Amino acid sequence: MRRFIQLIYKSDEAELVTLKKRVDIATAVILFLVAVLVARLWYLQIHKGSEYQHLSENNRIRVQKIAAPRGDILDRNGKIIVTNRPCFNIVWIKEDAPDPDVVIKRLAAILNIDISELLDRIRESAGQPRYVPMRLRQDIDWKTLVYIENHRLDLPGVRIEAVPIRDYLYNNFASHIIGYPGHISKKELESSKSDEYQGGDQIGKMGLERIFEKNLRGEQGKRYVEVDVHGFEQKQLQNQEPLPGNDLQLTLDLDLQLAAEKALDGKAGAIVTMDVNSGRVLALASSPPMKLKQFLGGISVKNWKEHLDDPLHPLLNKAIQGQYPPGSTYKIVTALAGLSEKAISPQTISYCTGSMTLHRRRYGCWKRRGHEAIDLNRALSESCDVYFYQVGQKVGVNKLAQYAGSLGLGKKTGITLEHEKSGLTPTKLWKKKNRNESWQEGETMSVSIGQGFNLATPLQICNMTATLANGGTLYRPMLIKAILAPEGKLIEQFEPIIDGKALGTKRSLDLIKKGLVDAVNSKHGTGGQAKLEEITVAGKTGTSQVVRLAQYRSVPEDQVPYKYRDHAWFTCFAPADKPEIAITVLMEHSGHGGSAAAPLAKQVLEQYFKIKPDASEGDS
Amino acid sequence: MIRFDRRLLTNFDWGLLFLVLVIGLMCLANLYSAIYPNDSHGTPVYQKQLYYYLMGFMLILAIISVDYKIFLQLNYKIYAAIIFLLLFALFFGSSQSGTQRWINLGFFNLQPSEPAKLMLVITLASYYSSKDPDKGFTLKELIVPSLLTAVPFLLILKQPDLGTALMLGFIFVSMTLFVKLKWQTLLTLLGICASAIPLGWKFFLKPYQRQRIETFLNPESDPLNTGYHIMQSKIAVGSGSAFGKGYLHGTQGYLDFLPERHTDFAFSVWAEEWGFAGSLFLLTCYFAMMLWGINIADSSRDKFGTLLVIGIISLIFWQAFINLAMVMGLMPVVGMPLPLFSYGGSSLLTTMAGIGILLSIRMRRYQKPS
Repeated sequence: MRRFIQLIYKSDEAELVTLKKRVDIATAVILFLVAVLVARLWYLQIHKGSEYQHLSENNRIRVQKIAAPRGDILDRNGKIIVTNRPCFNIVWIKEDAPDPDVVIKRLAAILNIDISELLDRIRESAGQPRYVPMRLRQDIDWKTLVYIENHRLDLPGVRIEAVPIRDYLYNNFASHIIGYPGHISKKELESSKSDEYQGGDQIGKMGLERIFEKNLRGEQGKRYVEVDVHGFEQKQLQNQEPLPGNDLQLTLDLDLQLAAEKALDGKAGAIVTMDVNSGRVLALASSPPMKLKQFLGGISVKNWKEHLDDPLHPLLNKAIQGQYPPGSTYKIVTALAGLSEKAISPQTISYCTGSMTLHRRRYGCWKRRGHEAIDLNRALSESCDVYFYQVGQKVGVNKLAQYAGSLGLGKKTGITLEHEKSGLTPTKLWKKKNRNESWQEGETMSVSIGQGFNLATPLQICNMTATLANGGTLYRPMLIKAILAPEGKLIEQFEPIIDGKALGTKRSLDLIKKGLVDAVNSKHGTGGQAKLEEITVAGKTGTSQVVRLAQYRSVPEDQVPYKYRDHAWFTCFAPADKPEIAITVLMEHSGHGGSAAAPLAKQVLEQYFKIKPDASEGDS
Repeated sequence: MIRFDRRLLTNFDWGLLFLVLVIGLMCLANLYSAIYPNDSHGTPVYQKQLYYYLMGFMLILAIISVDYKIFLQLNYKIYAAIIFLLLFALFFGSSQSGTQRWINLGFFNLQPSEPAKLMLVITLASYYSSKDPDKGFTLKELIVPSLLTAVPFLLILKQPDLGTALMLGFIFVSMTLFVKLKWQTLLTLLGICASAIPLGWKFFLKPYQRQRIETFLNPESDPLNTGYHIMQSKIAVGSGSAFGKGYLHGTQGYLDFLPERHTDFAFSVWAEEWGFAGSLFLLTCYFAMMLWGINIADSSRDKFGTLLVIGIISLIFWQAFINLAMVMGLMPVVGMPLPLFSYGGSSLLTTMAGIGILLSIRMRRYQKPS
């Protein structure tokens, strides 16, 4: 401590004195600057005081927001799917209401609602500036609008605002994909950059509305108006028109998507349709749809509960989030692995007795009487399980996974949608890691016919089918064709992306395709219900077993409770010789692929090839 | 080491404390008006500010109970701690409207850039008081204090918080000019500064900061966007005229034309309601506080004390001057609170700690160097 004190005082007194001389300079600087401030105060308050007083009373500038219409959403041919319409809201401007309680009571009576509902809304936006309009009621009808406009004088503080709101021209069309915009939440407001959003702004909440928020949003306009002390507009100073958002052109085909949704109507399932030569998704339907209109401007608790409690799960986009055992559609993978690994040749004959046994466990074929002697082509077209058990056994689960991966299974396809599921392609390593158990040989049997741990989304199966159809190119499924400026100018165009190449030779793929043609067109084929007269369709049925309680195992399908029934798959492409589209149908808990899914694929095919349903049915 | 000496009490500077109290009362009354009528949830800002004031007085009590020379001893520890907090805020701090300034302590959002100002004062006072070149400091001897300033300066600029970073620069310049410089050094420094301005303009300022300065220099270019704040503030101040519109009767604040009216623009609310008379009174209080401080510097018996006082005065003075000049439309908008008057815990506690140090130095002026 002594040393430390000495350190301080090692300077001599003289040093301190010179230091203190500068204190006078500091005083002078402070004095001068304070004088500047006082002079400025004098100038503002005394010299120009009355001028500013006048300004403060008569010349107040308010900034009013003008919401920008969001960009339209178009189908691949430019047909409008989603646009905007004017929507009239009742807003409340606290500052203009000298007697709020009376006015709110009056308004509640006009709207025929409980006063507490309005008071809740007002309380929600407490803390906002008093002149900022707060929304009390959205999208009122014409009658209410006219009534309120006629009684304006009795309702000081109540105003009507007209803002653009989403107009869904085809109701719940592609509801999971398009999503909806809504009022920005506190959380979203905090995480956005400053000045980017303000309370009450619209922001994409789900689906493409959310992903492409930046493009769709547009730019808010502003009105600068002079108001008097009572908040009444004196004159408009400057008007900055809002800039509408950019249009989003999808790859979806309006008619095809409508056909898919019509086919699914009232059922739980998904239909995916892709252009096999580019990966462009032409239809991606999931049923039941979300009721988009209910979500606009905030869904009510009752409606939300209805969505949540529906046993058919309307909130789930089954095409990308539903993960199902791929069932017999997976035999495409097993066949490809078998051929390419030379485990089988087209001539290889197996004998199906209706089941096979491994380690004293019986593995059945769906056809209990058995297919007897059977080759690859028939095994595919008649979907013989025993044949593929044997192929799977020879190839092994890891090889199967390799081929599955090269066809896009077991990983997210990368489509521009949120919350896509990756499905699951099991390997020995996967089981060791995730279950900490070693692989059982019997599990390979299940995997080779698409059961067991295997999981896939309808989009993955469709992409696999498209890859097979186009000769082995794995495209990334794409949903967005282009972004267009409001006046139609192209801003960004999206080109197909190739994500990989199917393992195996073109010859192997051709052999499998032939089996799929026969599955639809031969006498014993399982997919006969998707057959068209004019166009050759190639397809594969699938039935994915749902783990069910022992008590239902030997009960006929229609007596099993809904949630234990099998899922039905059908995946196909057409025309077989020069493929254009791939269609995958998944029907939840509806039984066999051939009977429950294939007819739906046919409806979509008919729409694509513009065949009249009556005519084709009449012929057959 | 800490002996209680009755002379400590007799030498206590009641005048300075009284000034702080008067400004504090004006501050609370003004905050009440700034958010009037208060219809938001939660604790109103004037109440929180009252708590900060109480905490501030306790802080003063703690600071005056120990000899201020302890800061000389703790100097580098304080420095290291503040730098750590600044780094922490930058990487893990909570961000608000695009800046990383706050450390959330649960009950309090600490803004480490505020205590950083006081920390710099202590650091520079320690450094300069330990050296005494006969003919003034040379450029080479200024390298160390420049670096000591540059580290927190850059960290705060990165947040980004231009106002506070600028403040550190002002403290450095004020304190360095106060100690003796060789005149060659002074000229060189002036040259460096002059050439640094265009560089800083280009590389350091964010576009919005550049726009603010451009708007200030040419207000007609953008009368309704960036200039909006200054224009509304000028209307509020000017419309106060000679005697103001009366307490709680200011219309500009009430009608939300004034942005940030409880923080940086608190003075415009005051000026509108109390007019030229009230504004002059507030200004006089600050001026008196500065003169009081200078008197303390003058009466201090050691170099460290004198430099510490000069640093603290420059800290309070420059903040007050820049804030007032900005509110009156003499300067571009930078984030700068009016010490003791704007709402904000970190800023208030820092200023109160500074006042505490002033009081501590005043109390111990009789202590003879041994």
